[in-house]
Amino acid sequence: MQSNKLGWFLLAPTLVVLFFFGVVPFLYVVWLAFHQWNPFAVDPTIIYNGAENFRRLVFDQAFLSSLGVTLAFTFFAVTTQVILGYVLAQAFMRDFPGKAIFRTIHTLPLIMAPIIVGSIWKLMTTPSIGIIPHYLDQWFGYDLNIGQSAIAAFTITVIMDVWHWTPLVTLTLIAALVSLPPDPFEQAQIDGANRRQIFWHITLPMISPAILATVFIRLMDALRTVDEVLMLTGGGPGSATRYLGVHIFREVFPRTNYGYGSAVSVIVLYLTIVVCWLLFVGLIAPRNKKA
Amino acid sequence: MTISLKAGASALALALAAQGAFAQDIQIENADWWQEAGAKFDGVTIRGVTESTPPSNFVTDVIAPKFEELTGIRVEIETTSWDQMYDKAIKDMEAGTGIYDVVYIEQDIVYSYLSRDFLVDMTAALEENSDLQAPGYSEDNFTTFADYFRGENGDLFGVPMEAFIKIYLYRTDLFDDEEIRAAFQEQTGRELEPAKTHEEYAEIAEFFTQYFQEQGEDIWGTTAQAHTGHPASWYEYVESILPTFGVYNWGINADEDYAATVEHGGEMNSDTAKEALTWWLSMRDIAPPESVQSTWTEVATTFAAGRAAQGLVYGENAAWIASDENQSRVVGNVGVALPPVEDGVMEEIEAGNGYIGYYDGGAFGIPVSSNNHEAALLFAQFLALPDLQEEWALAAPRITLTSTYDSERVQQLDEDLGGYFSMMRDDGALFQGAPPYPFHAQVREAVAPIFYSILTGSTGVDEGLDQMAERAEQELTNLGYRTN
Repeated sequence: MQSNKLGWFLLAPTLVVLFFFGVVPFLYVVWLAFHQWNPFAVDPTIIYNGAENFRRLVFDQAFLSSLGVTLAFTFFAVTTQVILGYVLAQAFMRDFPGKAIFRTIHTLPLIMAPIIVGSIWKLMTTPSIGIIPHYLDQWFGYDLNIGQSAIAAFTITVIMDVWHWTPLVTLTLIAALVSLPPDPFEQAQIDGANRRQIFWHITLPMISPAILATVFIRLMDALRTVDEVLMLTGGGPGSATRYLGVHIFREVFPRTNYGYGSAVSVIVLYLTIVVCWLLFVGLIAPRNKKA
Repeated sequence: MTISLKAGASALALALAAQGAFAQDIQIENADWWQEAGAKFDGVTIRGVTESTPPSNFVTDVIAPKFEELTGIRVEIETTSWDQMYDKAIKDMEAGTGIYDVVYIEQDIVYSYLSRDFLVDMTAALEENSDLQAPGYSEDNFTTFADYFRGENGDLFGVPMEAFIKIYLYRTDLFDDEEIRAAFQEQTGRELEPAKTHEEYAEIAEFFTQYFQEQGEDIWGTTAQAHTGHPASWYEYVESILPTFGVYNWGINADEDYAATVEHGGEMNSDTAKEALTWWLSMRDIAPPESVQSTWTEVATTFAAGRAAQGLVYGENAAWIASDENQSRVVGNVGVALPPVEDGVMEEIEAGNGYIGYYDGGAFGIPVSSNNHEAALLFAQFLALPDLQEEWALAAPRITLTSTYDSERVQQLDEDLGGYFSMMRDDGALFQGAPPYPFHAQVREAVAPIFYSILTGSTGVDEGLDQMAERAEQELTNLGYRTN
């Protein structure tokens, strides 16, 4: 009983901070989502408009286009990160010369602020000064211009996100792989299982909670990506990389469309929960049922 | 203490000493008055927020320390990105929290702030508190740029601290090169001179792009601020291209219920607007490849790198392009001219019925929500003292007082800048700030996706401008400015 009280006492400061800086702003955003508010309208007051903002969303081409490219971005970025992260994690499980240095370099992008990552990639991809267009042109005769080509811009944003966040996946999966007990692997080898069988029937099921946790984290981040993309492409060319985070930024900050922007934010949160739930239902629930 | 820590501390000390020395170098007349005036505000700290630009940095590094030294009033100015500055200032003024005592007001957002009564009427405040009226400060000292910060009653709501015009820069070394001049004459049958019309400009741009392509050199005929996902491209079109074709105020007609479509009395989708955009896109197509990712900053960088023979460049960049060898490869080779116009437009502008380009700049205003109005009023007047202006103009190419043009050192800089200051003084009246609308960002963001789509070629010019005009009217109706 005593330790229970002490626990709450020690948690109290964190809970208070969370309440005021997490729960209250969230409730405010939800409340605003049901209002019309633009401080630079003729009537700058906050006006209740029911579910009008949500109704508008359904017919808003800019939002729907943004949703489409965001889902595509999330799919390609997260899938690549998980596959590449696993391959690198397996590589780091083995010994090879320069492993420590390579692992350190590989982890460096993680400590960089997204805005810096965006700036670096902008420098690397700007025609005439960027190293990437330079070598693509020199080696393959390919003229990379992310200010002109929608596909090129989309691809580069995916690659940038993969470059930035794959180390997180790698580190998480290394931790998962290191913690695996050796017995099942030894038994499988004695039974004559090949590497592919070991991967599908032992490694993958045993590290799937770690993979799923990583996927959830990356999924949530990818769905609300803003800074890197805003710095690299500004959402362009056209609306090719105007992901939901960028769309919300433009609605809320320059356009000061606080009510509608809040509604989009709420929908993005809902979408994130639904996607995570679908993943959980699709991957975890059947396994639990079988068990 | 490690060596690096010692070195860092020494560098910091030297920097502070240098900064202090710089601030002390400036002599302020009536120093006693400032000391007495400041004594009433013992312990007061003025807090401000501004965009991180050379003129603002001069305020934080030199003017604020000088003000503190004389008055004893502490000044803390945050210099940050434009977006952050705008967001912080608006939220503070909207909520009335009183965090900031001075805020930076860019010329195009002053109308939004005035419409919401966010700012203190400085003229009235000084009339009510005549004991705060500083010797040496007078609204009559300002250039006409100050008029953009006046309310409907003619009173001043912000003290101008920077002013620039967006000008036509050209490479004098290329324009004066005998071989190039001969080639140009042979191809076009006329002398190579800075363009006065769009036709001439296009001819020169096409000539240079082709000429240097044949030579295998990376020099193009023009710059283009044509980012396909950044508002900079929208601003180049509405502020620098449209007016030179005779379409003003973004093609929105305030007298016709803020109409944007031709159908309702606007010009956003007029034939002239379509011609202007088509012309600009044709220039974009022969500009350096980075143009589709260029904002105002990158355009200046492109010109400074010597990659363009001519272009429209914001004046705030003209000084470093023309004089800073650490940043520019075209030092000493920069000429300044008025932007080219369509036939008949210059006569219209000279008659006072239009403008040739953008008169950019900003001011410091005092939020109504500030808790230190009086101390902030002192600081605002301090910013406009003639004693400070020469050093300020040399540090950042801005002039807001007419007397600054008379300074010998400023005139010397003017020569180095190819006559940029002279043009601002003599032809400044041909330029104009952003239209007096309180809904700039709102309309811009509403039409921007369509505009970017035109830039990428996904939407045609005619169709796109029609959609933009309709979208603008729809947004203005939603905001309540348009009634029909």
